[in-house]
Formats: sequence, structure tokens, C-alpha cells
Amino acid sequence: MNEIVTTTNLTKVYGNQTCVDHLDLRIRANRIYGFLGPNGAGKSTTLKMLLGLVTPTEGTIDLFSERSTSKNRMKLLKQIGSLIESPSYYGHLSAKENLKIFSTLLQVPDSNIEKVLQIVRLEKHQQKAVSKFSLGMKQRLGLASALLSFPKLLILDEPTNGLDPAGIQEMRELIKSLPAQYGMTVIVSSHLLSEIDQMAEDIGIIANGKLMYQGELDQLHETAPSKSLEEIFLGLTGKEQSL
Amino acid sequence: MITLLQCEYRKTRRKYLFLTALGITAIQLCWALYGTHPEDTLEWGWMMYLYQFPLINAIILPLLSIVVSSHLADLEHKGVMLKSLAVITDKKHIYDAKLIYGLSIVLLCNLISWCVTILSGYLIGFSGAVPLRLYALYLLFTLTPTIVIYMLLHALALLFRNQAVTFFTGIIGTFIGLFSMFLPSVPLLRKLLPWGYYGALQFVGMFGWTKETRMKNVYFATTDIDWMAFGILITMGIACYLIGEKLFERKEV
Repeated sequence: MNEIVTTTNLTKVYGNQTCVDHLDLRIRANRIYGFLGPNGAGKSTTLKMLLGLVTPTEGTIDLFSERSTSKNRMKLLKQIGSLIESPSYYGHLSAKENLKIFSTLLQVPDSNIEKVLQIVRLEKHQQKAVSKFSLGMKQRLGLASALLSFPKLLILDEPTNGLDPAGIQEMRELIKSLPAQYGMTVIVSSHLLSEIDQMAEDIGIIANGKLMYQGELDQLHETAPSKSLEEIFLGLTGKEQSL
Repeated sequence: MITLLQCEYRKTRRKYLFLTALGITAIQLCWALYGTHPEDTLEWGWMMYLYQFPLINAIILPLLSIVVSSHLADLEHKGVMLKSLAVITDKKHIYDAKLIYGLSIVLLCNLISWCVTILSGYLIGFSGAVPLRLYALYLLFTLTPTIVIYMLLHALALLFRNQAVTFFTGIIGTFIGLFSMFLPSVPLLRKLLPWGYYGALQFVGMFGWTKETRMKNVYFATTDIDWMAFGILITMGIACYLIGEKLFERKEV
């Protein structure tokens, strides 16, 4: 199976603190890749580096079998949708007006706005000012804007943050349906084991900026059948890491 | 770029930014025209305007620039939008589009103010024809410092999430610019910061005023234009743009 994202020795150093330490990610096409790690492990920084929002100190990134550089970055990003940390929005505009700005910049048809609003189930609230949305609705709007161009690769950083249990379940089902329905590859980061366990097919475990494990989730379970993912995770990252 | 400018327009919907800018321009005009007494000024009216307006411009136009630049940048900071925009479009283009859009509002207000100034001269009944060449120079020497100040404030507004940085820089700069107009003996002060150039590029002086005769023997005449100062100002503008854009491009969002 071909790899859609490959990083080699990807490193980010802030001052004298190594945030991401020689990461070699291998993310396969049409799969859900769970990027698991405790808070502060370097997940968001890694995802930001994939998107070119943070410049790596060292290492390379290949997206869609092409080396990502400052010159071709925008061309590659056209095939990527993302939701990093908290959702972004113009609070005084409605959901539809927010998406209209994104669709204009992405040069995608207006019909996509209706489609993504339907996917994230916000069609009834499309005329409401986003400042009046709950956090869960804002998160869904963030996902809608990431889906707007129906990209080949979707990068979601802690997409269930702030959602209630029903919202988490709904978001999980939605993410799980994306590879089959739209042929997308999804990278989803989380510090919640159960979330990744229920969603991901492949998994990368990161702690202190280092990749502790990478491979199929099923394989990970097979290596220690008597242990839960939590026990495996704690074994890999050290028991001092809190979840 | 047209697409980005369309988006900038859409972002400011229901924010009444242009209306606010027009309101500030209206205050500027009311203030300037309130102090004009037709009986004293009919003879020298056109020249008197060119003497008076730079002082009012030095207060109002930087204020207008603060309001527009920080308002446009705050839209992005409040909704954490820069990180979303930066993965859709080049950061350089985001920077330029916001600059062009904000400057268009400020410059349009400047133009409106200029037209109303001339119109008011006609309505009051100033003697003689409008000295168009001098008014064209006045427009140039009003727009150029405003553009440079806006470029500086635009960079600060986008680089710093806290808009107090833009606000206080703008206010302190305005005070320095204003004081420099009352201290012609310290010409360096006028040329140190872009705010001082409303005064440095003023080319009409008032002569014949004494405590005893007051306005009776007053006349206005042109003075030498400091083209060197104009050159320094243009250089400042280019530096502000290039440095601001480079820093914004490097900024991690």
C-alpha cells in the first residue's frame, strides 16, 4: 500500500527543548492513522510541520510522494484539509458565510458548502452567527471547513476536544466513514486511548517527541494479547506519563 | 488577489468598518471647518487651508489608521483564523490583501476629505481659483505619511495578537508627530518617525502674525518643499512593508 505521508528525521527544537525528535512517520493511503500521545508529546507541532505552519529544525516531509518545500507547499496543501487545535471562525458571521470565505479561497463550488454542512449536521444552523454556537458546533464547523474541498488527506488534531459524549460518538462515526465514502486518508491525533482504539486502523505513539511505536493497531494488540491498549501505551511511554 | 480582497470585504460584513472610518473623517472635517471664520479668511482661504489641515491630519489620520488596521487584524486573531488561512493561501498574499483592503478604506476617506475641503472653499466663497497644483501636492503629502503609518501599524497589528501594541504605538507616534510640529527648531524630531512628516512636508507658512495686530496683517505663502524628507519617508515605507511582510511570513501561527 502506498504511503501518502512520509517524514524522515523530522525534528523541531525550541531553544534548548527538543519538541519533536527525529520522527519517521509512514502514513498509508485510505487509512485512519491515529496519532496518540500524552499532552505536550509533540503531536500538534508535528501536524503543524506537515502543514508548513511550523518550520522543522531538521528532517524532511514527503506528501503524496513529493518532497514538501516552501516552493510547492501551497500546491500540496490544496489536497489537504485540516483542523488544528481549536476550530477557527469569524464569530460575527454565520456558518454559511464562514464557509463561503473558505470556498472562495479554495475555489471550490458553492454546492460543497451545502454538502459539508449536511455531513457535519449543521444545515439547520447555517444562518446563525458562529459566536452563538456551542463548542461542539464550532468543532463541527471546523471539520466542515476542513472537508470543504473533499481533500485526499485530512489532518485532525484532537477533533473531539470539548465535545459531549454524544458529540464524540457522532464525530467518531463521521471520521470512520471518510476513507470509504470519500477516499480520504485521515490523520487524527488524540491523547485519549479509547478514542484512537475505536477509530484508527494504523497507529503512531509519540512521547517526549519520540515515536515509540508505529504500525497497525491490530498488530499492536496481537503483540500483547493479554494487555489492554492502556497497558501497552504505558509500557511504551513510561508509567509517569499521565493520560 | 481579487479573490482575497473579496474575502476581506466579506469578513467585515456587519462590522461597519467603512462607516466608522467615514465617521472619523466627518469629525476631522467638522473640526477643521468649525475653526474657519469667513470674514477673516476669504482672501487667503485656499492657502490657509493648506496651512491648517496638516495639523489636523497629524491627529486624525493616524487615529483612522489605528482603527482600521487593528480592526482588520483583530478579526483574524479573535477567531484564530491565521492558521486556517495559512494552509489555504500564501501568508504573503494574506498580508498584502489585508494591507490593500485597509489602505483602500483609509485612502478613500482621505480623498473624500480632500474633495470636501475644496468644495467647502467654494461654498464659503474663497477668493480666486483653487490652486490645483498646490492642492495636488497637499494630497500627495497627506497620503504618503498616512500610507507609511498604516504600513507600520498593519505589520504590528498582524504580528501581535494583543491590539494594545498597535494602539499604544499609534498613539505615542501621534503625540510625537504632533509635538514635532510645534518644535520646528528640532527638525530631526519631525524626520525620525513617519508621524512627523505631516509637518515636515508642510509647504505653506503663516507670516505677519503679531500679538498686537493678530490676524490683521497675516498672509500665507509657500515655503520650500523638503524633497529629501519625502525621499526618507518613501524609504521608511518600503522598509516597513518589506520587514513587516518578512516577519509575518516567518511567524509561526
